[in-house]
Formats: sequence, C-alpha cells, structure tokens
Amino acid sequence: MNMSDAWVLPLLPAAAFVVLALFGPYLPRKGDWLAILAIGAVFVLTFPIIADFTAALALEGEAFAGVANSIQWMEVPGHLELNFGVHVDGITIVMLVVVSFVALMVQVYSLGYMKGDARYGWYYAVISLFVASMLALVLADNFLLLYFSWELVGLCSYLLIGHYSHLRSAAEASKKAFITTRLGDVGLLIAIILLWRETGTLNIQDIIAAAQAGEVGREILTASVVLLFLGAMGKSAQFPFHVWLPDAMEGPTPVSALIHAATMVVAGVYLVARMLPLFELVAGGMEMVLAIGLMTTFLSATMGLVMTDIKRVIAYSTLNSLGLMFVALGVGSPAAAMLYLFTHAFFKALLFLGAGSVIHATERQDVSGLGGLWSKMPLTAITFGIGAFSMAGLPFLAGFWAKDEILVALLENKIAFAFVLLTLPLTAMYMMRVFVLTFLGEPKEPEAHEHAHEGPLTITVPLVLLAVLTLVTGFVVFDQVGRAMGFPGGIGDVIYLHGPHAFDFNVAVTLGSIALVATGLGAGWYAWVIRPELPASIMARLQPVHALFANEYYLNNVYQAIIDHVILAGARVVAWFDRNVVNDTGIDGAAYSTGFAAYVMKFQQTGKLPNYALAMVIGIVALAAVAFFKA
Amino acid sequence: MEAVSQQIPLEHFLVLSAILFSIGVYGVLTRRNAVLILMSVELMLNAASINMVAFAAYASPEAFTGIIFAIFIITIAAAEVGLALAIILRIFRNRGTANVDEVNALKW
Amino acid sequence: MTVAQLIFYVIAALAVAGGLGVVLARNTVYAALFLILALLAVAGIYILLASEFLALVQVLIYAGAITVLLLFGLMLTRVDDLEESMVGAQWPLAAVASALLMGLLITTVATSDWPGDADGMITRIPFETLGQALFRQWAVPFEIASLVLLIALVGAIVLTHDEEGDVEETK
Repeated sequence: MNMSDAWVLPLLPAAAFVVLALFGPYLPRKGDWLAILAIGAVFVLTFPIIADFTAALALEGEAFAGVANSIQWMEVPGHLELNFGVHVDGITIVMLVVVSFVALMVQVYSLGYMKGDARYGWYYAVISLFVASMLALVLADNFLLLYFSWELVGLCSYLLIGHYSHLRSAAEASKKAFITTRLGDVGLLIAIILLWRETGTLNIQDIIAAAQAGEVGREILTASVVLLFLGAMGKSAQFPFHVWLPDAMEGPTPVSALIHAATMVVAGVYLVARMLPLFELVAGGMEMVLAIGLMTTFLSATMGLVMTDIKRVIAYSTLNSLGLMFVALGVGSPAAAMLYLFTHAFFKALLFLGAGSVIHATERQDVSGLGGLWSKMPLTAITFGIGAFSMAGLPFLAGFWAKDEILVALLENKIAFAFVLLTLPLTAMYMMRVFVLTFLGEPKEPEAHEHAHEGPLTITVPLVLLAVLTLVTGFVVFDQVGRAMGFPGGIGDVIYLHGPHAFDFNVAVTLGSIALVATGLGAGWYAWVIRPELPASIMARLQPVHALFANEYYLNNVYQAIIDHVILAGARVVAWFDRNVVNDTGIDGAAYSTGFAAYVMKFQQTGKLPNYALAMVIGIVALAAVAFFKA
Repeated sequence: MEAVSQQIPLEHFLVLSAILFSIGVYGVLTRRNAVLILMSVELMLNAASINMVAFAAYASPEAFTGIIFAIFIITIAAAEVGLALAIILRIFRNRGTANVDEVNALKW
Repeated sequence: MTVAQLIFYVIAALAVAGGLGVVLARNTVYAALFLILALLAVAGIYILLASEFLALVQVLIYAGAITVLLLFGLMLTRVDDLEESMVGAQWPLAAVASALLMGLLITTVATSDWPGDADGMITRIPFETLGQALFRQWAVPFEIASLVLLIALVGAIVLTHDEEGDVEETK
C-alpha cells in the first residue's frame, strides 16, 4: 500500500454503501458488520500509507510535496480535461487518520447507541457513504472530485440530521443545514469555475502554482478567494452561517460526533488550509479569515454559556473550536490550525459520545433534567470530564497544547490575541457548567437518575479509547515526539510542508493561558457548585443579556424575517410568472394549440384507403417533379 | 454467353415499363374491389421487372443482377398475393364486403 | 423497321391493352383475363430481352398460378357485380395523377443518357449460368425468399382459418 494507492480508501466504504443500500435488509444484522469491516479496513490501510509517507519524507526532506496519482476521465481537446485523482501530503495524512479513526469509533459506538432503531440498516449505509465521501474529499487532487465529495458529505449530513424523520424538528433542522451550507457551496462552485477559466485546469496544485506565478488576474483571484471562503464558512458553520450547526443536533448523537464535530465541519478548515497560498496572495484575504474566526469564537462562547441542552452546549463549543482554527489560519499558521483540528477531532468526538451515553442512559438531554450522574455512570463521567477539560484547555490535555500553539502564533496580532484570551475563561466556564450540571449535584429528575446505567461495551470502549487519545495526542507538538514517530523535523513539518513551521513553546503565554483557564474553571465551580443560586440571580439581573445569548443573538429571527419578507415575496413573483406565463401560456398554450389544430384537421380524414393512396401518389409525383426539374 | 442483336433501343423497354406502371397506379387508385387492386399491383410489379431485365440485358450483361431480381420479384409476388388474398377474405368475412372504400376504419 | 422491332411493338401494344383492360373492365372476371393477357405479353418482352428462363417462369407462375389464385379470390368475395360500383369516385383525379406520373417517367427516359449498345446488342444468359449464380452467389437471398414464402403460407392459413366462434355461426 503506497501513497499512490490511496484511491482505494474511499472505494471500500463506497462499496459497503452500495451493498447496504441495495441488499441491506437481506443481510444478517442489516449489514452493520459490513460497514464496520469497510471502515476498519480503511483504518488499517492508513498505516502503510503513513509508513510510506514518512519514508518518502525521510528520503526527500522538505522538498517532498506529496504524491499525486490521477487518471483521465474525459477530454475535449483544447478545451477541457477532466481528471480524477488523489494527492497525499501532510494535511491529507492528518485528515486520513482523523476520519478513519473517529469513523471507526463512531460506527462501533452506534452498534450500541442505534440498537433497535427503525432505520438501522439505512443509518449504516449513509454513514458508509459519508466516510467514503469524506475520504475522497481529503484525498482529492482536483476541484472536480473535491466539489463532488463536498456536496456528498453535505447530502449525508442532511440525511443523517433528518434521521429521525418522524420528528418535525429533525426534518426542519436537516433542511436548514442543507440550505444554509448550500449558500456557501454555490460560492465554492463559482470560485472553482472562475479559477478553472483563468488557469485552464482543475488540479489544485497546478492552480496554486499558477496563482503564485501571477497567471491569475488580481480581481478574479480576489473574487475566487472570497467565494472559496464562503464555501468554507458554510461547511464549517462560521458566522453568519453558524446557525445550522446547533440545530443539527437533532440528528443521532454519534452522527453529531462524526459529522458535526470531527470531520465534515472541519472540511472548511481543510479547504482553507489547502488553499492558503491563494489567501496569502490576496490583500485582506488573511484578515477576512481572521475576522470571521474571531467573530465565531466570541459569539459561540457567549451562547454556549446559557444553553441548557447538553448537545447544544457541545455544538457551541464546536463553533468555538472551529472559530479558533480559522483564527490560526488567518494569522498564517495552518500547522497550528491542523494540530488543533487533529486533537479537537478526538476530544470533541469524545464529548459527543459521552453526551450520547448520558442521553442513552437517561433519555434526557436537557441539563435541567440531569445531574448527579457521577455515582451511576462513573466511566462516562470521567471520560466526558477529560473531553470537557481538554476543550477548556486544562494543562497537559490535548486541547491545551493545541490551543497554546494558536496563542503563540497569534502573538504578532495584539487585538486577535486579546480577543482569544477573552474567550478562554468563557469556554472554561461553560465546559465546567455543563459537566457540573450533568454529573454533579443532586439529581433533578429522580426517575431518570434511577434508571441511569453505563452502556454496553460497544459504547464504553470507544469512550475509553478516545479519552486515552485525548490524554496523549497533545504531546505530538514536541519535536522529540514527532521524530520518535518517524516524522523528521517534528510533526509541524509534516502537517504543513510549504513553509515549515516548528511548534513553539512560550512560557509566558502558557502560564497566562493556564491562569485564565483556571479562572474560568474556578468561576464555573464557584457559580454552579458552591453557590448554585448565584447564576439564577445573575441571569435575573442581566435579563436582556441573557435573552440575547439564549436567543442566539436573534440571528435566527432575522434570517426568518428575511426569508419571509424578501425571499418568499420574490418567490411568489417567480411562482406567479411560472404559473401564468411559463406554464399556462408557454407549455399549456402550445399543447392546446396543437390539440385544437388536431381537432380541426381530424374531420378531414375520410378513413378510406384510396384517398390516402391518391394523396401519396400526388406527393410522390410532386417530389419526383421537383427532383427532375432541379436536375 | 452469346450476343444477339435485337435492334431495339433500351428506351423502348423503359417507356413500355413506364406506361404499364402508370396504368397500374391508376388501377390501384380507382378500383374499389380489393382483388382488382391486387391485380393492378401485379401490373406495377411487372413493369418494374421489365425495367430490371432490360437494364440487365443492355447495361450489365456480365452480372445479370436484374434477372436475378426479377426472379425474386416473382417469388415475392406469389407470397404477397397469397397473403393479401387471405387478408381480403378475412375482411370480407368480417365486413361483408371486399370494397376498400367501405372499410373506413382508418378514421377518428 | 426490323422484324424484331415490329414484334416488340405488337407485344407492347398487347401488354398495354391488357393493362388498360385490367383497370377499366366493368366485369371482374374480364379484368382477370385481361391480366393474363398483359402477363403473357410481358413474358414475350422477356423473350425479346433474351431471358427465356424468366419468360417461362412468368407464364408458369404469374399467368398460371397467381391469376388462378386471384380468380379464386374474386369468386370467394363476390357479392354482386353492379357495374356502377366498379370505379371509385376519385377517378378523374387519379387519372390526372397517373398521367402526370407517366409523363414524368417518359420524359425522364427520353432526356437521360442510357448505357448500352446503340444497335440494341444484348447478351443471352444460358440457363446453366443463371442457375449457378442463383445457388452460389445468391444462395442466402434465395433461402430468405423461401423463408418468406413459408411465412406467407403460414400467415395465409392462420388468417383464413375459421375460429371456433365462426364455425358455430355458420352451423
């Protein structure tokens, strides 16, 4: 298994999808074993690819720019050449590990969590399709395959959010997610077309090279960078497109862990990291990414503080993290962003799966109905705690190292630095809050607490594995660890090859961030453990602010108003035009006039054979005469 | 293959063929009885055969494809007459007439 | 005018007369007899074209078998031979169309250059050569033609075969 054979990876789950979709109901256990087998094979096959990658890296050092392998799909000579292919480099390797491992964990977890679901087989089929598309997305060496998979992951997200299709809220949420991300996807498509028109190729590396050589006009480049970023914003739920992600929590919890935390939502981060050379070429490109990232980080931290649904809190923390990744990208440090992506995938999947374990046990997901679960579910509590404190940035957990890398990268930009520092205690506080309200204190609904119990092994084993990874993955920031794992020059070089970036360690920053996180955690502990009545009184006093946060800054209301009064009004005009002009006049009119002509003409038919024969002969004579006199 | 001189130009045969063919067309168009229409069709077929054989004799004696064609035309004509008469009999039994202008099923 | 030409004109006149009889005769049986005359005349034309084999086939199959078949058809479909019912109402238009067609064809013949010997030299094809060609070079079309005949035969039987309901009716 070499790097150039990586095209096999997406095909395995894709094949599983085809089999499951067609024959799923006839397979034993509805074929869940097939889906797990496929993703397991992908996970195993990732290792030889990594080995091949490190070998190539050791051989060629910094000059190594990845391996590409593509076949021609079709060609219009001189106009268009379409290729399908894979490109493996450092970013791809990181994404491969994340996608295959988290997908494997989630699928195993689903064995327990989704057991008895009415559409169990279909669930596994769509998950397989999602994994296939996600792998194709990160492996794609050209925009065609990338866009194709980009849309496919969106489709899978839509299908899985709406998995409980009998719930109106789930149906609404899936539509919202699909339409909102679609707004960004259109931008991505236009950007791809623009870049193709300018450079004549769809190959990502060729486009970057062409842009760096100045072959792309400045205006076109600016427009396509903005549109590309629009696509990334939609997929990664950045402000102002972030509204779909909290609603997407209507889907099954394992889906939230896989799609809406670890993989699909970071596709935007991946895309921007991959195309960062273009952003650097455009004046204001990096600043745009930075501003959007900061905005998202700050808004989501405040909203996460007041949410009562355990999954929504985690969803806002995901927005928080995604914003941080964009901040890192915006200051030109993709290595920090990718490292955060890497660690975030594990601890955020862990958080979601832990929340899923709680929901599975109590059938409640609002913290007002939980509490005191530590005694009933110690394993879930501990693993969830590891995830939560990693998110908060408690020292020596994965999130801590990754976050500090971003902070160090931010040192140059004082405003952004201050902004991120401000969100640190907020993040720590609401992670502490959700942990306390779920696992500590008195049970708020005794009968739910009564029935709570640890899930089966299929649920607990993924939790433990992810918790272990959350404990250790942060240490890869050290160059020594990276070298020991076979990545010369530390893992930073591997994650981002163009412009090597060694991970720094700044004592002042680290101590400062520890202090801020400790403040946040302490404040959380004080507010919800020592004086549980305090938050309510603060809320009462700051009623307008609380309402602002709890209603998500009224953005949903604004969007709804825009849809109701602008879009639907326009749609009514279009619908009127379609009904009256296009349909009644254009289509029905043509049909009716044909029918009327036929009605008039049918009375000219005698039905007698000799008449027809005569008409035929006259016609032949006429034609023959024409032929004769022309010749 | 011996050559013989008939001292008749090719055009004579072609004109005869044209006349016979047109007479056949007139018969097909005017006759009411289906069997008589069939006879007129036979006239047209014979006119075509004359054309074929004349061209074979004058234009391409070494290949004589026209003669072979004439043989096939006669064969097919036999099949056609047999089948057509069967159809006419069927119509006659169902409708009580063999006159084509009384069978106006080709109508709305 | 040579003897051969004289014979041609006589035979041609007979053929045209026969043809006109077929399309104009008021009696259906007369029409059939005129058809025999026309077909025999065409056989004579074949002899003039040095195709004796075709002439034989023409007499045997056309003038013999097919005409008899047609006469049977006439007999089986006979209702009454009212004279005014013989010709359709559209005969004037049909006459014009046919005349136009004839004019067009003859003009085409007259104004075109045709290959062939100006003296009317033609080649006589021996029966043997004809047979060889038919069964070697044209073997496949020959077989297909026999298949067509067979299908026509079966089709004719199926079409004219009385279904059970019809038999009940006639009883």
